[in-house]
Amino acid sequence: MNGYAHMAVLAIIVIAAFYAVWFRDLLSSVISLAVFSLLLALEYFMLQAPDVAIAEAAIGAGLSTAIYIIALRACKALKSPRGGEGR
Amino acid sequence: MKRQVLFVVAVLVVAGVFLGALARIHPFGDTTRAPMDDYYLENAQRERSVNNVVTSIVFDYRGFDTLGEAAVLFTAVCSVLALFREGSEKR
Amino acid sequence: MNPLSVVVRTICDIFAWFLGIFGAYVIIHGHISPGGGFQGGAVVATMAALLLVAYGGKKVLSFVRPGIYTGMEATGLLVFITAGFLGIGTTFFYNFLAGQGGLFGSVVPLGPNSGILNSAGTISLMNMAVGLEVVSGLSLILIYMFKGIRLFEGREGRSERGHDR
Repeated sequence: MNGYAHMAVLAIIVIAAFYAVWFRDLLSSVISLAVFSLLLALEYFMLQAPDVAIAEAAIGAGLSTAIYIIALRACKALKSPRGGEGR
Repeated sequence: MKRQVLFVVAVLVVAGVFLGALARIHPFGDTTRAPMDDYYLENAQRERSVNNVVTSIVFDYRGFDTLGEAAVLFTAVCSVLALFREGSEKR
Repeated sequence: MNPLSVVVRTICDIFAWFLGIFGAYVIIHGHISPGGGFQGGAVVATMAALLLVAYGGKKVLSFVRPGIYTGMEATGLLVFITAGFLGIGTTFFYNFLAGQGGLFGSVVPLGPNSGILNSAGTISLMNMAVGLEVVSGLSLILIYMFKGIRLFEGREGRSERGHDR
């Protein structure tokens, strides 16, 4: 039972990491990276490391996503406003 | 053509090294027992009067590491403030 | 960055309080429950990120002064280093307050128990100091990146507009 839960979470982590590289639209890629970090925090919690899980959920899923989105907005304001289109 | 052959060779070399390292990895969930771990688990609550042994290691027994981490964060904040400071668009 | 819609702002009004209180809980109970200064500080800094994204940079930056955050960061780091140096009679980072009585020095009973809040000596003090430093440091990074965006957007002469006005 526990092994199947680990395998399911790790499989979705791999899928999220693949889509973070695959998307052409950078905002979709950042959201996929946030999903990756959140599931990684869940995996840390299932491996009984709640310290690392709290840090990963706050830094990875919250703050780094916000910083990436701010950086995307800054790049969009600098360049010509041609939005990315999905592949 | 030559670049593709080089790419395949590089992929094979990296994959071989990685899988060779992965075959000799320590078994998952089977930790080696060090004497220092037993010392922390037995004496942290009596010596430092703290229930969370992880915090007692991070902030007391190995406090110098946490000092380095705080210095790293301080350096990161200083570099961001230097990058986005006021009046940096004028020059 | 433009402020988001009224639905997002209403949800943000409610959940920002929970984020702040949960972060303060994680910092203060760092020596009893999982967590500590770094984790709780990151949670409180996520509250700053939530407010900045939901309300836009113009409204939040009008009443937030970065000087207060700079002072908080310097205070946290100085308290941390000072608490490390005060135990230098034995070793650097020696826990000289543990088990001495007083505000930080209650003695916990041995064995599995639920813990006492005012125990653990300098560990509790350093948790609060590092929490203060991490909160102000990560919030300063977000605030100055928002100011940097406004720098670039002001060059094109665009101003912030909400979705619902």
